[in-house]
Amino acid sequence: MDDRPHKAHRPAQSGAKAGKKDKAKGKERQQGFNAKAFAPKSGRRADRQGRRAVERDQTRLHVPLVNRTPDENPPPVIIAIAGPPGVGKTTLLKSLVRRFTKQTLNDPKGPITVVSGKKRRLTFIECNNDLNSMIDIGKVADLVLLMIDGSFGFEMETFEFLNILQSHGFPKVIGILSHLDLIKKAATLKATKKALKKRFWTEIYQGAKLFYLSGVINGRYPDTEILNLTRFISVMKFRPLIFRNSHPYILADRLEDLTPRELVRTSKGKCDRTVTVYGYVRGTNLRLGTKVHIPGVGDLDMTSVQKLGDPCPLPDEASEKRRKLSEKKKLLIHAPMSDVGGVIYDKDAVWINVPGSFSRGNEEVPQGEGEQMVMDLQDVATTLEDAVSKSQIRLFGSSSNPLAVAAQSLPGEDTDDEQEEEDSDDESGFEDDEDLHSAEEDEEGFDFDHLPPGAENTGRRSHRVVQRTLPSSSRQSRADIEYAESDSDLGDNDDDLPSTSNRRVRFAGEDDDDIEIPSDDDALDDEEGEDEDVPQWKKNLAERAQSLASSSRKGKRKDWIKLIYASDLTPAEVLHGKAEGDKEEDVDDFFTIKHKSDVGEVEALDKGKEPIDDVELEKWQDEELLESIRGLFITGEDSGAAGGDNDGEWDGVGDGDGQGSGSEGEGEGDEDGGLPAEQTTKDAKTLQAKKERLKRKFDEQYDDPESRKDDFYDSAKDEIARQLALNHAEFEGVESEARALVEGFCPGAYVRIELSNVPCELVEHFDPHYPIIVGGLLAAEERFGYVQVRVKRHRWFTRPLKTNDPLVFSLGWRRFQTVPIYSLDDHSIRMRMLKYTPEHMHCYATFYGPVSLPNTGFCTFNSLLGDTPGFRVSATGVVLDVDRSVKIVKKLKLTGVPYKIFKNTAFIKDMFTSALEIAKFEGANIKTVSGIRGQVKKALPKPDGAFRATFEDKILKSDLVFLRAWYSIEPRKFYNPVTSLLLSIKTSWTGMRLTGQVRRDEGLKTPLNVNSTYKKVERSARKFNPLRVPQKLQASLPYASKPKLMTKQRSQTYLQKRAVVMEPEEREAVALLQQMRALRKDKVVKRKEKKEGKKEERRKKLERDDARREEKDKDKKKDVMRMVGMKHKREQETEEGRGSRKRRKP
Amino acid sequence: MSSSLLTFSGHQFLRQRLVLSILSGKHVKIDRIRPEDKNPGLREYEISLLRLLERVTNGTVIEISVTGTALLLRPGVISGGLVVHDCPPSRSIGYFLEPIIMLAPFSKKPLNLTLTGITTDEDDLSVDLLRTVTLPHLQPFGISDGLELRIKKRGAPPGGGGEVQFLCPIVKQVKTLNFVDPGKIKRIRGISHAVRVNPQFSNRMIEAARSILNRYIPDIYLYSDVYKGEESGKSPGYALSLLAESTTGAIHCAEAISQAGVAPEDIGLRATRALLSEINRGGCVDRRHQTLVLLMMVLGSEDVGRCRMSEPTEKTIQFLRDVRSFFGTSFKVVPVDSSNPECTQLLYSCYGTGYINANRTLA
Repeated sequence: MDDRPHKAHRPAQSGAKAGKKDKAKGKERQQGFNAKAFAPKSGRRADRQGRRAVERDQTRLHVPLVNRTPDENPPPVIIAIAGPPGVGKTTLLKSLVRRFTKQTLNDPKGPITVVSGKKRRLTFIECNNDLNSMIDIGKVADLVLLMIDGSFGFEMETFEFLNILQSHGFPKVIGILSHLDLIKKAATLKATKKALKKRFWTEIYQGAKLFYLSGVINGRYPDTEILNLTRFISVMKFRPLIFRNSHPYILADRLEDLTPRELVRTSKGKCDRTVTVYGYVRGTNLRLGTKVHIPGVGDLDMTSVQKLGDPCPLPDEASEKRRKLSEKKKLLIHAPMSDVGGVIYDKDAVWINVPGSFSRGNEEVPQGEGEQMVMDLQDVATTLEDAVSKSQIRLFGSSSNPLAVAAQSLPGEDTDDEQEEEDSDDESGFEDDEDLHSAEEDEEGFDFDHLPPGAENTGRRSHRVVQRTLPSSSRQSRADIEYAESDSDLGDNDDDLPSTSNRRVRFAGEDDDDIEIPSDDDALDDEEGEDEDVPQWKKNLAERAQSLASSSRKGKRKDWIKLIYASDLTPAEVLHGKAEGDKEEDVDDFFTIKHKSDVGEVEALDKGKEPIDDVELEKWQDEELLESIRGLFITGEDSGAAGGDNDGEWDGVGDGDGQGSGSEGEGEGDEDGGLPAEQTTKDAKTLQAKKERLKRKFDEQYDDPESRKDDFYDSAKDEIARQLALNHAEFEGVESEARALVEGFCPGAYVRIELSNVPCELVEHFDPHYPIIVGGLLAAEERFGYVQVRVKRHRWFTRPLKTNDPLVFSLGWRRFQTVPIYSLDDHSIRMRMLKYTPEHMHCYATFYGPVSLPNTGFCTFNSLLGDTPGFRVSATGVVLDVDRSVKIVKKLKLTGVPYKIFKNTAFIKDMFTSALEIAKFEGANIKTVSGIRGQVKKALPKPDGAFRATFEDKILKSDLVFLRAWYSIEPRKFYNPVTSLLLSIKTSWTGMRLTGQVRRDEGLKTPLNVNSTYKKVERSARKFNPLRVPQKLQASLPYASKPKLMTKQRSQTYLQKRAVVMEPEEREAVALLQQMRALRKDKVVKRKEKKEGKKEERRKKLERDDARREEKDKDKKKDVMRMVGMKHKREQETEEGRGSRKRRKP
Repeated sequence: MSSSLLTFSGHQFLRQRLVLSILSGKHVKIDRIRPEDKNPGLREYEISLLRLLERVTNGTVIEISVTGTALLLRPGVISGGLVVHDCPPSRSIGYFLEPIIMLAPFSKKPLNLTLTGITTDEDDLSVDLLRTVTLPHLQPFGISDGLELRIKKRGAPPGGGGEVQFLCPIVKQVKTLNFVDPGKIKRIRGISHAVRVNPQFSNRMIEAARSILNRYIPDIYLYSDVYKGEESGKSPGYALSLLAESTTGAIHCAEAISQAGVAPEDIGLRATRALLSEINRGGCVDRRHQTLVLLMMVLGSEDVGRCRMSEPTEKTIQFLRDVRSFFGTSFKVVPVDSSNPECTQLLYSCYGTGYINANRTLA
């Protein structure tokens, strides 16, 4: 016992203890990287190390991609939780939501958005086991939490899901092993983990993250494990995926049906619906005018898009400050499909979900402040209008007359009443509107406008319908609230006249900077005025444009945006102003158009260049004018009037950065317009600046000549960053509504999309467990055509794919069934049809369907049904080409037989049926089976379809003649979108069936073509005539080549015929030999018998042994089965005890 | 499923609408084409243009009503490749080439188009300007390698008989333009050509032009380009085309064509003065190429493109409106220099549609 060696002491290498020991010994531990320790020992090694470092550095680099998702206020990250049923997806979702919001959900449905940090929000969505859902979620998820049952291992769905992800641009995947508590033995657990990890890594990449969840406590996973997981999630970085970075998309977290109830009732619910979906814009900017595709529904038109207040905003400084103590624990969650949170925002309404039974007048139930207020509002007997008209307001204490209310409502009044529709124009800042404004930036800066809606979640005061107002008009009315004017005047009708006059005044006198701001504002206001469909602005728009145009000739500036986009003036009128005669016709649009259309349009040509105006050119005879433009040339001096470019003469040097410095030059140009008195100081300043610039350039080049030449990676990244900054800056000051028109809704905005003509089944069979994705389509993707793809059958799919068999594609946003034709490139000459996909090889496939951009990945399925045995992903591939026609051919062999043979010419029949056909094939190449090549010459008059052909040699009568032709085929124009979301049972979508399947279902027999039956091939033995060499030739042949004419001896020869008479001693000898032979034979027979007996014995023995062993095995099996049965029974008992955990039978 | 249909009326701006339709894939219907004219309906050259468009595309369906006053275009894909087309003598090659230049970068195969007809006339850009001005305007968009216009024969009106070959590469996506610095004019180039007239005519034009331009910069090269024999077409004529290039690559151009009874010197002076007024107008883009540049800006990646130009022409205004109906993109058009009321230049900026050449073949 004592002599057993003890385990050696292993001193701590890290941590507090290690440091203590060192300090005690009096030596200081080195902190951080010890460069000396890794110094190379030899030059060679240094070289190798250096190269390795550089190589490793290069592996870090990726192709620079533009990330369209903005850095501030990005959309929530979509985290999908996927896995086979019963693996614990819902439990994980509940645990994660609980971790972030401290709320426990009972039945999480649909996307759930939570705030996870200062800069990040997360949208969780559970992916059910339907293949359609897996496809859709695979296309939008940024991160997939792939759950794997540790006690069972990988399942087919997991691999299918991974393949779907792979073909649509692999998002990040974190594996999560659950049910590890079911493995009791520690060794087994370790081995299982290792095995699963290995498999997982081969599937994703070496080192992919895999989490282990041990067990369930209180219906949730252990808090520490979830905490670790969330830490991982919240720091995860995402690389933009190309498809998502070029398409806008929305994961709808809410769906409302806006169809008038009456219409639904009269059509018995069968009419097309108008539906709104809500969600965060992701990907790129969402723009109106494009189509969207909802996978499982189809292509739809967006009627309108509105930006709504963020229901789950990121915390900012203001909101953090205002957060009350009571709210501290209430963290934000937005999950409209799961009915949490209680408050739902809409464009025109706010819905409060009151838990429990709530009825008016029920006094026992304690009512909150919000509910009380709503009920108070409902109690109001008179409308606000009446109330205001009755009220008496004195503006000043001394004024005798109370302020009277005109027939029309005052701008200063706003009502909470639901019938009020027109009040959209005038909004005077009632506090109730605050929620509507929260998302918009308001320069006026009313306090409440900055309240995020989240802060108001608790105390909702009203339940009402309020029209969303346009901030521009509201600001306008706020700015000039003048009681004397009526409401209609206060719209943007009049904003132009006073402001233009204002401007004119200012132009005369004051400094220049002031002008820019109002003019710019007006431009924007006017543009907004246009989107809001107020008929009034149209009335005298032309007049105003006219006045503007005419004034511009006096040096006034035109508002180009408005003139171009918002007026119905013809281009000529925009440019040259309207002719005086047209002016009175402003009253009616109809006539003006008619009149304009025939004004001088007849002779106007669509010209590439305008005719030179000779009168205009006259002025160039003036020397002074000629001199005045000298500043526009590089030789001209840098005059202030020329403006713009200060570093003109240095552009020869810095040609490259000419564009980059453009904006700076412009900025400087603005300052240039100063007074001539300042000229000298300014010149000095420019000189100074120029010197500075040169010095900087010199320093840069002198100090570090290397830094000048950036590598490709850095310069590309810089370029991207610069462009993004420019994008951001260009529309910075623009009002959000106008901005949405120009650049669309940027990612991160919470929008409401109104879709028209939506199939009613979507609404009727809506199930929140199935994701609704609104994918924006590019212009090209709305079209149809023949799509050529490169495809490879999946190696786990058991059967080859057959041409003209329907196949379900998941391509782009779409899922659809179509009929592909497979082909291979035949020597780059032709695309040759293949009946079946080749084994282990790519081939081409061409199908008719919606166009996708080249380089888009896809995967295909033969069936989407859940009960399909085996692996369902049948092939994967990539789009190569899109066209309106295809050039696939298949081989067609025509056969004929010669019926008359001349020397090299033969008459061939049975290949064609008429002379016309032959005329088409004149000159075509033909070939016999034996390989003699020839050509079709001309049709013969007599037997129909016979022709003359020539060959390179004489052919035989027995030869078959082939004509190899290529017959072009087109894929069938079949496109069948997978409308799974429209079904009541979403998993039961079946598309077009195979012919065999239809026959089987209908109980039909396969039609039998008599010619297609297999018959026994009768081949009579060929008789060849003997070779006859002419006598003369034979004579001249050498002996070796001469035919050997001797035949086989048939009669017996003497040797066989002679009789043998033996001598006595000879006879004895022969007899002796015979006896010996007989003895030996006997011996052999005996030996054989003996051996047989022994063999028999051994066989019997073996039989006995086998029987015994079998019995033993049977007993053993019985034992095992009994054990298994008992274990199963135990399990079931524990399960019933534990509750609702469903285990699928493996 | 049909793409949405857009309806226009009138024969004006036909070319840009056809181009936008083919690029965007939206069907377009144009009605009321000269309904009250003595000779109603489409003209010969318009029919010829439609033929040409049909030839450079694949799957395009063009339906023309019986009277010729209405037209329905269902665009296919732009296929490119080798195309030969005869332009009728009623319009010059420029009329046909302009829309083709807009389409060609987005075709399936690089375009090799041979056009025969009139090379220079009063109404459209001459092939010289197309070669020296229009094609360089595509360069900032990343369309430059292999972009070429070869003038094989010249043909003056009315006889024509010229021939040009247009080669255009294909691109995946055009680059975003950010061109706000017009720079200063650093060089002036010009081509003065004369066919079937005294070769001295071209030198006389050059001299006249130099008499004005020499005062500004020394870097002036005006080439005298005289075609003889087979290559000189069927009719006599001469013209001077001038272009001024700035330090940042902005190009302005002008040209004047021979007229009966006008001395070559006067033609030279006319072209020169037109160039000066063009330079005076300023901006980064020549006025006749506004639509081309704006179109490429719209088709750029999903970034903000900016360009400084002079005031829009009628064509440009209608083009901006048409772009909005085809692509949904509207421009922000603001004065460049708000402090200077004299400055008529405008800054056009838009958010590109992220148009990707879907016709391009992979592998």
